Amino acid sequence: MKFKRQIFGFMDLLRFKKMVPLRAKKLAEAPATPLPTSYRVDRTVKILHPGMQQAELTEIRQETPDMKTFTFRLSGKMMFRAGEYVTVGHKIGDSLASRPYAIASSPLTALEKGEISVGIKKAGFFSGWMFDNAKTGDKFFIGDPSGFFHYDGVRDRAVVAGIAGGSGVTPFLSMARAIAEGSEDFSLVLFYGARTEKDLAYKEELDKLCSDKFKVVYVLSDEKNEKYESGFVTAELVEKYAGKDVSVFMCGPQAMFDFADKEMAKLDLGGKYVRKESNCVAARDVAPTQYKLRVHIRDEVFEVNADARETLLTAMERAGLNVPAKCRAGGCGYCHSRLISGKYTIAGADKRRVADAKFGFIHPCCTYPDSDVELEVPAGEIPQ
Amino acid sequence: MDKYDAVVIGAGNGGMVAAIRLLQGGAKVLLVEKHNLPGGFATSFRRGRFEFEASLHELNDFGPKENGGDVRALFDELGVTDKIEWTPIPDAYRLICKSEGLDALMPFGKQAYINAMEKQVPGSRKATEAFFELAEQTRAAQAYTSSKNGVVDSSYMVKNHGNYVRTGSYSVNEVLDSIKMPDKAKRILNAYWCYLGAHCDDLSFSHYASMVVRYITRGAMMPKGRSHEISLALCERIRELGGEIWFNTEAEKILTGADGGVEGVTLKGGRQIKTRHVIANCSPHVVYGRMMDKVPERAVRAANARKFAGRGFCMFLGLNKSADELGIENHNYFLYDTMDSVRQYELMKSIDTNRVQATVCLNRAYPQCSPAGTAMMYFTTLYMSDAWGEVTARDYAKTKEKVANIMIDRFESDTGSRIRESIEEIAVATPLTYARYCGHPEGGIYGYESQYWDGLNPRLQMMEHDHITRGLRFAGGYSMRLSGYSSAYFSGDITGRQTVGDIKKEG
Repeated sequence: MKFKRQIFGFMDLLRFKKMVPLRAKKLAEAPATPLPTSYRVDRTVKILHPGMQQAELTEIRQETPDMKTFTFRLSGKMMFRAGEYVTVGHKIGDSLASRPYAIASSPLTALEKGEISVGIKKAGFFSGWMFDNAKTGDKFFIGDPSGFFHYDGVRDRAVVAGIAGGSGVTPFLSMARAIAEGSEDFSLVLFYGARTEKDLAYKEELDKLCSDKFKVVYVLSDEKNEKYESGFVTAELVEKYAGKDVSVFMCGPQAMFDFADKEMAKLDLGGKYVRKESNCVAARDVAPTQYKLRVHIRDEVFEVNADARETLLTAMERAGLNVPAKCRAGGCGYCHSRLISGKYTIAGADKRRVADAKFGFIHPCCTYPDSDVELEVPAGEIPQ
Repeated sequence: MDKYDAVVIGAGNGGMVAAIRLLQGGAKVLLVEKHNLPGGFATSFRRGRFEFEASLHELNDFGPKENGGDVRALFDELGVTDKIEWTPIPDAYRLICKSEGLDALMPFGKQAYINAMEKQVPGSRKATEAFFELAEQTRAAQAYTSSKNGVVDSSYMVKNHGNYVRTGSYSVNEVLDSIKMPDKAKRILNAYWCYLGAHCDDLSFSHYASMVVRYITRGAMMPKGRSHEISLALCERIRELGGEIWFNTEAEKILTGADGGVEGVTLKGGRQIKTRHVIANCSPHVVYGRMMDKVPERAVRAANARKFAGRGFCMFLGLNKSADELGIENHNYFLYDTMDSVRQYELMKSIDTNRVQATVCLNRAYPQCSPAGTAMMYFTTLYMSDAWGEVTARDYAKTKEKVANIMIDRFESDTGSRIRESIEEIAVATPLTYARYCGHPEGGIYGYESQYWDGLNPRLQMMEHDHITRGLRFAGGYSMRLSGYSSAYFSGDITGRQTVGDIKKEG
């Protein structure tokens, strides 16, 4: 076959020859207007994902004997989904320490005032330090709003049964506030478990937020009080106040998950309708053993100590290395690092991508050393 | 100051391949990537019990060992083929355009495809055969041109690749009309147009035909570990060859000297790297818009002449039932409102009217990609305008949900399968997501559009014309091979080898 489109075949050839001069002309004739330095989507991205930033602590409020609310002024506007967390970090001694906290304030407060607050319970290294030492005016670094512990209108049922224990109430407080201000649209029945009445943080505010879309049921385990339910959050209780057609969201300590898992199984909701916020990987219960950890960051090499009881991330933070840290539960992949050599154990389920395991990548936030270890880690983004 | 023969900016598909070519050519290479992962779009992510593919529908032009394509040959040369486990894609595509009564499952294999077309459109055989003949000639001509690095003798071309030259200046529709392709066959054949993102009055025939013929005659492949496996394999190869890769490292400026040529790169945080050669795996808009202090006017005019191609949107679903239980029959679907690509292109300009989707159920190619009793799907569309630039931060989540619902409804109504009640995990990427991770203007995923005057043929012939700044070359979807996985790999191959030549010339 000889292809021909024009009456005379040579005209097809001629057209081919003209393509280059035509394109050269088009490129040369366009205006010399300076190119944009950013685009409209970038400006919205900056609000949704501002990246690691410095923020000032502006207010500390005591909520219960062991819980305080910390409010930060951000460098600009931020928008997030109620239920998401941010990493809060600070230099403590020689360490660059951080911890993820669910945002307790509402999305529109962040969007309109550039302000967020988190509730911190006195427990563990960083939270304990915050509780005892942080003061207004101090500067902290704060990460992007992150995580998947938020409502999804496509996936979830119209009614969410929230089960909260301890400081696990904070993401639900944000959700209740979001429902009240109209930045989220679903019904939330919150089952808030605590030992005694005085351990109920944010009670006054939660009571005020109650509406046709938000209800709160307090459940005390160590105190009999006719105003409240007593014991733990059971399937029966969820059904009584929220019905059976619910999505269950849980946030709290592992012991609460263990109990609630068994209870929710009775409602036969399946994985789709039961969602849990992950907890940070804790120290493991093994004999203290010291290892050497060699860390490559770009073209620098650091040699630091690691302890078999602590994660590789903790070892690097103790040494003051600026390394990526976000969920601290092995799931977000932000600390994705290349293992050059060494033996290790992953805490809990392996949440890496399949190819990561194949090519020797690990998430230091959920990985304990079982020998000396050599790692290549992406540079951290903490402003220095 | 640290010194490298070449710095590659961006560890996308083009950047990674370019880095390997540079290393194979003996250069000392630094690859910097602003994200903490390699790949650009070629990555994956975990949600619950699912690991989603971020972007790859099917890798074209790789083929099985016994019928290897150009990408396989390239990967062999790069030394990465055997680092990756591959699985074949079962069928070419299922095209559904309900409003035009079209529902066609098209197979791989030239004869099988022609037969299936004849069954759909009796009397189409001759025209479809003519299409394949032209397409094969196009492929042969392109192979010859590549072997000569784009510098070819025009009388030789006319004599030996006449049909390529004669069709080369025309659009898909112009050529198909000339070979008297029946209308319905044309509509079925044009189904892949959304993979290249320009409508068929604009899209050049040679570009489209060479893609289609590679798909149909060689089949398509998928890495089992998602495209992340390819990206990690390429990175491993870069390290084996002595290259350095720095993640979370954004290149902010390209430094130029008195001659206007490249002298170095400034990284975010202020560190300077000395080099006389940069390969930018990003758009000229970004490089000339904010990475250089002195920008040649010609480069600004050239960038302003271009048109951004489609901005990406992808919904990922993890389903708590198997593909069989859900009634998802095929691996990849094209669901259109109309097969008039010009009209369809117009509808894709607004969030309210865009209902096109290219949808994949990976389990139909690789059943083990998700746990037993589950399925994983991704639904992709393109916006042919900056419509997402209008969406405010406050309305963002709501808008994502609206489009997600449009996509689910369309899939259910066009295919008859039921997925909505089985959604265990959902993630949605919008143009903002692509802008955030990859830095492309307006969240584009297809580079500069293959407009009538700016198609594959003139771009390949004008590589030196487009090389405006000494020491600066481009790889990836904005460069000479246009967008798509295989094209981006080839762009890295070409630009990497050209830069090796540049370095050698300097001595």
